[in-house]
Amino acid sequence: MAVPITHYLVLAAALFCLGALGVLIRRNALVVFMSVELMLNAANLTFLAFARERGDLSGHAAAFFVIAVAAAEAAVGLAIIIAVFRSRNTVNVEELRTMRH
Amino acid sequence: MIDCTGYQSFGQFLQGHGFGDTFACFFQKAPAEPEAMAGALWLIIALPLLGAVVCGLLGKSLGKANTALVACMSVAASFVLSVLAFWVTSDHDVLALNPFAPEPSHYSIAQDYGTWFAAGGFRAQLGLRVDHLSGTMLLVVTGVGFLIHLYSAEYMGHDEGQWRYFSYLNLFVAMMLLLVLADGMALLFVGWEGVGLCSYLLIGFWYSDPAKAFAGRKAFVVNRIGDFGFLVGMFLLVLMVEAFSHQASPDSFAPRGPYAPAAQVEKWRLGLAERGPLNFQGLEELARSLTPKANPGAIGLSTPIRQGPLEGHSFGGVLTAVLLLFLLGAAGKSAQLPLYVWLPDAMAGPTPVSALIHAATMVTAGVYMFCRLSFLVALSPTAMAAIALLGGLTALWSALIAFAQDDIKKVLAYSTISQLGVMFIGVGVGLFWAALLHLATHAAFKAALFLGAGSVMHGNGDETDIKRLGGLRHRMKWTWATFGVATVAITGVLPLSGFFSKDAILHGAHSATLLAYPGLTRVVWLLGLATAACTAFYMFRLYLLVFEGERARDAKLPEEKVKESGRAMTVPLVVLAVLSVGLVFHGLPLPYGGGQLRPMMEDYLSPVFRTSQLIFRETRVLEVHSEPSLPYGAWLTALLLAWAGLLLALYFYRKLFPSWAGKPAPALAKAIRTFAQNKFYVDEAYELLLVRPVKFLSFISYKVVDSLLIDALAVRGTAWVTLRVGAALRYLQSGDVQSYAAVMALALAAGIAYVLIRVAS
Repeated sequence: MAVPITHYLVLAAALFCLGALGVLIRRNALVVFMSVELMLNAANLTFLAFARERGDLSGHAAAFFVIAVAAAEAAVGLAIIIAVFRSRNTVNVEELRTMRH
Repeated sequence: MIDCTGYQSFGQFLQGHGFGDTFACFFQKAPAEPEAMAGALWLIIALPLLGAVVCGLLGKSLGKANTALVACMSVAASFVLSVLAFWVTSDHDVLALNPFAPEPSHYSIAQDYGTWFAAGGFRAQLGLRVDHLSGTMLLVVTGVGFLIHLYSAEYMGHDEGQWRYFSYLNLFVAMMLLLVLADGMALLFVGWEGVGLCSYLLIGFWYSDPAKAFAGRKAFVVNRIGDFGFLVGMFLLVLMVEAFSHQASPDSFAPRGPYAPAAQVEKWRLGLAERGPLNFQGLEELARSLTPKANPGAIGLSTPIRQGPLEGHSFGGVLTAVLLLFLLGAAGKSAQLPLYVWLPDAMAGPTPVSALIHAATMVTAGVYMFCRLSFLVALSPTAMAAIALLGGLTALWSALIAFAQDDIKKVLAYSTISQLGVMFIGVGVGLFWAALLHLATHAAFKAALFLGAGSVMHGNGDETDIKRLGGLRHRMKWTWATFGVATVAITGVLPLSGFFSKDAILHGAHSATLLAYPGLTRVVWLLGLATAACTAFYMFRLYLLVFEGERARDAKLPEEKVKESGRAMTVPLVVLAVLSVGLVFHGLPLPYGGGQLRPMMEDYLSPVFRTSQLIFRETRVLEVHSEPSLPYGAWLTALLLAWAGLLLALYFYRKLFPSWAGKPAPALAKAIRTFAQNKFYVDEAYELLLVRPVKFLSFISYKVVDSLLIDALAVRGTAWVTLRVGAALRYLQSGDVQSYAAVMALALAAGIAYVLIRVAS
């Protein structure tokens, strides 16, 4: 008995909300970053769920694309975080608010 | 062979007098092919234009002599081409195709250079044309222009800005030639504005003197008023032609030779599509078909316009409005009442400029324009009356002002205005050929007078006050002799050229009656006679004070230091003086075939004014009393009046002054003199009635509209609001990335919620 698509979608929505919550409330830039990855993967999950449901491969292509982008993003983002830590000695996003009025 | 009734050329004249066919044919056939000449017409304009560019861009590095050489030679080359063009058109067999009518125009060559611009149904064509009218003007402009360039080479030889001067002067000649050669109102207007620009540049040539710069500005602004009328008149004319083309039917066209009216309508419409509504030939055909006909279906002057913006007005009414607006334009350019005030101030420019632009050529543009449109003028008795009356009033008015002017150039300036008024009388009474003849003779003798005045100033340390000159005849023999000849020519005390050209106009005003305005030509004639007498007085006053008698005690230079000007200045003077005498030939009634005595100019210009004469015959608005073939009586009157003026001047300035030297003048005479000396306070009246209110209005609009509404409210207000809003909104930028993300998430959630609710409901 195959798992119905609703389950996948509910799971993906729960993961996405967890990720969004993490982005909004966690202080550590690294954790925020990981939460973003969680959101991306939630999106991947919905792509794949629909691809499975429809029986075609375009959802897979989109998921691969997202993975590639996420990898690039991770590389750049981690580099930025390291650079920020070197100059400010902190990765707490609450303390990184120099770009203000 | 030659089968026309009158003599349209010098050659035919000679032939009629037994000079033999060979000699006649020599003059008849120009040494140029008509087609080649038509193709070279643009060069007549392009050469002075090239001269202007060369003088303007390279003049400083070329040196003074070379600049003068380039400027003179470009005009000289243009003169040679003009002579050729003039010569070519003297042949009856020289034809130009008329795109508006089935038959070609004789005695003219034309060249079309394609569409200049087109918008909707409107089209303006770049086309040049030489016929007897523009040919005569070509000779005047380039001939007098060349002499004045030559004169300027010496006169302006010591000026820093000599290259600038020659550049402007060449540009002026090019623009004037464009005005003359243009084959349509649109292109004529380009020349019209171009000469206005050059006039402005040259009046304010010595711009470091604020008074002279102001005089240039004044000329420009006053001319704008006239040009406004000219432009509006042109728009109305376009609308009228369009309305005519909608309503035209074969009934409006008289059968002409083998051509049926229907074919003529077709041809006219084709011409309109090809050459646009402002082409002179199209307007001529239009005027021809607007003349009253027995045919009931024909469009006449009283036919109402059926469609378009002019709906409900009659063709004749619109035409009169157009011509009156053109009259406003001509009054500006040709310095007539009430817009003449710029011309006396224009004397701030160098004297050769006054001779070329403000006496011989540019100011006659109004007269030329009306001669060009003679067929339209002939259709409107109201416009003719207005032109004649305006000319008569201006002539007398400025002659009276000239009585008491002490500046040698101011006297000549008012004299120019007065003579232009006389030309306007000629146009107004339908004697277009006489107006043009007076234009040509006036160009010769007035240029001679102005150049003579320049020579006097040159030799006397730039003294212009005639009270502080005197006795120059011994020291400046050439200037004296030529000035004397020109004075005699303008006043007509001896029958030189000016006598016949002026008298042809006055005689015409005397013998013609505008039936719609009985008595008007009589008034104009009396005004003209009074002007003639006044002219003799003030011109001889000028002549006597400058050249005769003793040298004034408060003269700037002692008599022995006064010296005659050089060759480059005296040669043009002599040539112009010879022309002032020689042009008498064109005004003298000569026996032609058929035993009729007619001035040569009348015959020569008859092909150009054929349509207007036809209209006069058909409409019978102008009644000409039959006169004896030689107007001895009128000539005697004119001579007597001129001599009266001369004797009065002699009495006052040669005999009366010494005996009255000790006694104070009577109070009344003094008051009148002061009144005239102050130019009848016209400038002051304009200042009070026009300039001050306009300045007040502009002050108000500056303070309220510009300073308050635009500057304070619109410009600075917008900036202030933007600044305040920005200052308030910038507190939203906290720098906290997570709060931005929260806002984004909330907005997204709200958007999704909204969509879900919309879908659900």
